[in-house]
Amino acid sequence: MTLDPTVEAPVRDDKAHAPRGPAVTRRRIGRPRPSGRTINAIAALVVSAAVLYAAFFGAGPLPALGPAFNPVTGAWTMAAEAQVSSETLHLEGLQQPVRVSFESDGTAHIVAQTDHDLFLATGYVHARFRLFQMDLMRRQGEGRLSQVIGKAALDSDRFELQLGLLRTATLEWSQLTSSDPSRDALTAYAQGVNDRITEAESSHQLDAMFKLLGYEPAPWTPIDTLIVKGDMTQTLNFTDTPLVIAQLDKSLGADLTSEWFPILPPNQQSPYDPGPYGTATTGPIETMSQVSDSVAATAAALYQRLAALPPGLIATGGASNNWAVAGSMSASGGALLAGDPHLHLTLPSIWFQLTMDSPGYHASGVSIPGTPIVLIGHNQHIAWSLTDAQNQQTFYYLEHEDAAHPNQYLWKGAWQTYKTVGYDIPVLGGPTEHLTVKLSVHGPVITQRGQTTSVWWAGNLPSQDLDALLRVGQASNWQQFRDALRDWHSPTHNFVYADDQGNIGLISAGYYPLVAAGQPWLPMPGTGEDDVTGTVPYDAIPQVYDPADGIIWSANQRQVTSDYPYYIGTASNFFDPGYRANEIHRVLSLGTANGGKLSAADMMALQTDTRDFLASEIVPVLVQKLAGEQLSPTESAARDLLAKWDYRMDTNSAAATIWSTFWESYLSETFDPWWKSRAVSIDRQEVDDALGQDLEAWTLGDTANQAFSSPGNGVRTAFDVMLKAFHATIETLNKGLGSAPKTWTWGRVHTRELENLAQISGLSYGPRADRGDANTPLAAGGDPSTHGPSWRMVVDWGTGTFDGIYPGGQSENPASAWYTNRVDTWWSGLYARMLTADQAASSRGTVTWSLGS
Amino acid sequence: MIQRWLLAATLLVVFALTAVAFVFGAWWAPFVAGVAIGAAGGRARVAIPLGAAVGLLAWSAPLVFDQVRYGLGPAASSLAAIMGFGHQGAIPLVLTLLVGTLLGLTGAWLGSVARSWLPWRQPATSR
Repeated sequence: MTLDPTVEAPVRDDKAHAPRGPAVTRRRIGRPRPSGRTINAIAALVVSAAVLYAAFFGAGPLPALGPAFNPVTGAWTMAAEAQVSSETLHLEGLQQPVRVSFESDGTAHIVAQTDHDLFLATGYVHARFRLFQMDLMRRQGEGRLSQVIGKAALDSDRFELQLGLLRTATLEWSQLTSSDPSRDALTAYAQGVNDRITEAESSHQLDAMFKLLGYEPAPWTPIDTLIVKGDMTQTLNFTDTPLVIAQLDKSLGADLTSEWFPILPPNQQSPYDPGPYGTATTGPIETMSQVSDSVAATAAALYQRLAALPPGLIATGGASNNWAVAGSMSASGGALLAGDPHLHLTLPSIWFQLTMDSPGYHASGVSIPGTPIVLIGHNQHIAWSLTDAQNQQTFYYLEHEDAAHPNQYLWKGAWQTYKTVGYDIPVLGGPTEHLTVKLSVHGPVITQRGQTTSVWWAGNLPSQDLDALLRVGQASNWQQFRDALRDWHSPTHNFVYADDQGNIGLISAGYYPLVAAGQPWLPMPGTGEDDVTGTVPYDAIPQVYDPADGIIWSANQRQVTSDYPYYIGTASNFFDPGYRANEIHRVLSLGTANGGKLSAADMMALQTDTRDFLASEIVPVLVQKLAGEQLSPTESAARDLLAKWDYRMDTNSAAATIWSTFWESYLSETFDPWWKSRAVSIDRQEVDDALGQDLEAWTLGDTANQAFSSPGNGVRTAFDVMLKAFHATIETLNKGLGSAPKTWTWGRVHTRELENLAQISGLSYGPRADRGDANTPLAAGGDPSTHGPSWRMVVDWGTGTFDGIYPGGQSENPASAWYTNRVDTWWSGLYARMLTADQAASSRGTVTWSLGS
Repeated sequence: MIQRWLLAATLLVVFALTAVAFVFGAWWAPFVAGVAIGAAGGRARVAIPLGAAVGLLAWSAPLVFDQVRYGLGPAASSLAAIMGFGHQGAIPLVLTLLVGTLLGLTGAWLGSVARSWLPWRQPATSR
């Protein structure tokens, strides 16, 4: 068909005058046949409408093509936005000129003449490079993802609004007095973010993701910053462990559950605070009893709901390291500090590196975009880092209800009416959903399937953590540092400290809830007897300062010994199995033994240490057992590799692969028969951390433990099971990797990936073969491993040097040179020197912004 | 000859107006320009390709400008990744130019159809 109506017109007329044949057809149809001109008009209208529709509204997976791909204002502007050059900028709200320098790797140095301007400029800089990330984080916490993603995010939004980050943040903001310095910081920071939003909208330089998703960011508020803080609290310590233990208790029985999932760790660990401790102010906690069918069913239903949520909303075990060495034990004579928080490794990273400099605040390190402070770093006198403390901060309460008292629950002998809060959840492409959240005295009702259950979570306590961090950044000695953390509530963190006078310290600051009675590791009755009644006094929480041996360390292990008088959580899932802490303690102890001194280079080597402490305990036992056994040639070759192994999970190590496969097989041979015979609904691998501690302890000291004599296997010892597991290991590897054990290198089966924050696989990095495992200081659990050292920092106060690196880059723009420019350095275990603002200003390749009002 | 110069000048003005409209977010300007070309121009077989050409030029000129200033390779590759096409940067580029071309083409097509329905263009048989 031609598109030219002037050409088609005669043809149309010819047909209109054509005799008979067409006329018969015309009669049969009962209406005139459309002319060519009409067809052409209809075709033009239809095609134009289709093109315009796709351009205005998108089609299928495609966004609205017009605005999204507008070459001047659409997603293509990411090319221009990726450029960073020296310029003069005008920001509304600035009081004095501000200088921002960027090193060639993107590290920012902000020098302001007032504190207000410092926080405002920080907000602007964060938003300039991470606005979409910041918007996603606040949307997640505020339950507003569905508004831009659609109904796929509804479960997440409902859960977040139930849990209450928004309520808590709003309350925190309302409690800040007008004279509070953190109120000024939050307000100024929000102004800076909004300056950037205004600028980006007017210059069409919003991040491409906004354009592709077809929305513009709402103005930033101080509450948004508090929400971002809440996101981090949630991902680090909102746990479902009581729900897991309830189901284990129901299927395995109270005896096996209390033995296999005890309060105190069954293995040998390295607590950093050996005591002595004070006297507890509460009574002892009960021992475990059998849970009822209804409790187990309720726990199972809620557990399944939480398990279906996107990753990151429920804490699934932490992994971070930090330690310090006193000046008396260091080669430089100054205190050493090392910190590497292990988090989900994303592009862009959770971190943004910067120096903040004003008359009242000086700190250098990493910040979380959306928040106006340096979370990990140093000032002129002290350095600090943190790991998750892992104590229990989440408690589930089963509310007692009665049909005769609708919308009420029994508490302390009286019927209480639930409070309710209503929310509207806008949903892209669908109707707005209304959600009503019920609140008991314990917290939000989180499920009404089975027994109504509410959750007490320390993250819901209003906590002026920002104020605490501001004062940490301003501290110049241990006393000020410790005092600043007194008001830190959640998440509980192990804050390590080292100062320019050679002193070191570690304090696990935060809220340690005290439960009056009951079994806090299970869902508890909500009738009042088992309520949280207070917290461990600040002076009694785990802490040390200038210990005699000159070293301190934390790696999510239980911080205290069995003598500690308070219940702070169970060994399973709350605290780490302790292998990283043991390895760090071993290396630091060896390095300082017999007058030895440690250096910053030693700290860096330890941060990238791949020695598996658990392997160093178990493999010698296995090799010894195999010595007297009849083995196939392949098995013998594998045994020889293990016998010569240095327990390092390096990519070229075949023994590492054999060990890893063996340990999984050993766990499976020991526990899977129990899981099958007792119909345990919890995936065994989810509790492998706890079971591994048991298996380690039994292998080293209780080889006849009844667990080895599992149903259907008769009487067995640890050695019987080890042998069977070894045979299974070799068979598995033989099938999967070939018959030559020396080729079974770790790099063939173990990779790491830095995932794009928006789950766009094409913008992720990897998967790529990498070293380490879940037990090594260089943490790399899982395959592909997506968690690990999100920032590595080493401080040497003797030489005055500060080094740090994180995987990723400063910009969220994938077209930017600063999107992945730090990855290779990080991957290689190298560092970048953390410069002062003055050093940066005079270094090569530095770009400077002059900010004025 | 004068008519050709007039046509070229008109196209240049239309193209310039379209480019300016882009800056204000009016990505649909080529469609409007196409309608104008189709409605005011001569035969459809000329007007429609002209509309398509204006659309293509209007959408490609800023990209050429950005390519010269910044280089569009990383942006094209990133957009392809976001759209699920791996790192095939040519795909978003082609898609972008296709959008511009189609806007101009359909505008001109619609304009020429409208022109053919105007009373002074109606054929005698349909009166």
